[in-house]
Amino acid sequence: MSSTARAAPPSEIEVEVISLFDQLQERLLGYVLAFGLSAHDAEDVVQETFLSLFRHLQLGRSRRNLRGWIFRVGHNLALKRRSANQTANASVAYESIAALHCDPGPSAEEQFAFSQRQRRLLSVLEALPEQDQRCLILRAEGLKYREIAEILGISLGSVSMSLARSLARMARAEGR
Amino acid sequence: MRKNDAHLSDQELLLYADGEVSQSRASHMREHLAACWSCRSRSLELEGAIASFVQLHRSRLDALPPRADGLRSSLKARLAATRKTSRIRLLPGAFWQQAACAGIALALLAAGVWRIYRDSFRTGHNVNVAVAAALPNRSLTPGYTRPVKLSELCSQRQSNAPPDEDTSVEQRVFHEYGLPFSTTSYEVDYLITPDLGGADDVRNLWPEPYGSTDWNAHVKDELESRLHTMVCDGQIDLATAQRDIATNWIAAYKRYFHTETPLPNAAEATRWKVEHRRWTIALAGRFSLWTFVPVR
Repeated sequence: MSSTARAAPPSEIEVEVISLFDQLQERLLGYVLAFGLSAHDAEDVVQETFLSLFRHLQLGRSRRNLRGWIFRVGHNLALKRRSANQTANASVAYESIAALHCDPGPSAEEQFAFSQRQRRLLSVLEALPEQDQRCLILRAEGLKYREIAEILGISLGSVSMSLARSLARMARAEGR
Repeated sequence: MRKNDAHLSDQELLLYADGEVSQSRASHMREHLAACWSCRSRSLELEGAIASFVQLHRSRLDALPPRADGLRSSLKARLAATRKTSRIRLLPGAFWQQAACAGIALALLAAGVWRIYRDSFRTGHNVNVAVAAALPNRSLTPGYTRPVKLSELCSQRQSNAPPDEDTSVEQRVFHEYGLPFSTTSYEVDYLITPDLGGADDVRNLWPEPYGSTDWNAHVKDELESRLHTMVCDGQIDLATAQRDIATNWIAAYKRYFHTETPLPNAAEATRWKVEHRRWTIALAGRFSLWTFVPVR
């Protein structure tokens, strides 16, 4: 039966979308989760983003900086999803990490070896404005300041100011 | 232009480190940094904060529950469906109507094929159909745990009854499996039972057939009970039990009960359990010091 499914070969665009998905899905998921979405919603958003990418490419639209495009669309879809869920359980970004790490049973603790220091950093991160958290994540995903500014709809100066401010806070928290 | 001996701000240090300044500015900054220990140490502090953040960010990604490649397969299927429908637009107008019908038929076929493919996805093609139905699709139900302490799990027996009736969740589970909603043929059951730290999450729930196969919900209950006992007796750790039951509960049953087929009835399993308890208690009596060392 699977041979039937494979009978029609995927188009070049499909192959390209899947390859970009393989490269970026985990990173995009990490970014989208910081909107306080559940893992299930975040995965939906990731899938929708790549479907939009497929439509974007199919219509022959610009291929310039597809990585930036993917994060921008993921960002917008995540915002949309969050406002749709707002009544349910809007949570603060990074809350989910705390849950993942504070949680667990014996093995999980060993697994993540989550130290006091990291907990302290986590509380600093949680206290940051969402915009600052997003700047950090996007930068950690290797995006240029220009790309970050574009995704978040802010100026280049705001990006560097936000990053410097957040990092300085983290450095202070670490007693550096 | 700023003098080389003026200290650099955090923002400038970061822009410099991230390669976001012009070449001429960068060379001034480099000169300043070469001469200024204070700015260099500040720059190192920022680098340290970057390293910590990256570590934290990565550990969050690593801590995500296993997703198998369900997301990828589902994206591929949706792209394939788009492919079928998008062809319609390319056909000449005169054939549009017929082509639309053909396209819809193709899309339906693709969806059907996808469902069948998805259901057999994890277990492979030569697998016994009955076993396939008794096992969840790992890409849809990888198993999901909640934060829990061993002492909580072992101090009181939790309810392993199927999750409270939340029809919307149940419907979602059926929908994900491409099955018509039916509580008479299936029981929406936990993959990792709450007794072993399983969560009330759609990733931990699947429609389990009622008695239609040898490997049914009752048999799984026996395994759950056994694993719970073993975890609380410290014979296996919780993570192993969670992994074993989530990976392939039938294989786990065979391994833990040393049998290729489900035990004839629950009584046999219960008898084993009682004997096992007795044995454990006897052992605990002999090695009490060792046995009662707190786990956590």
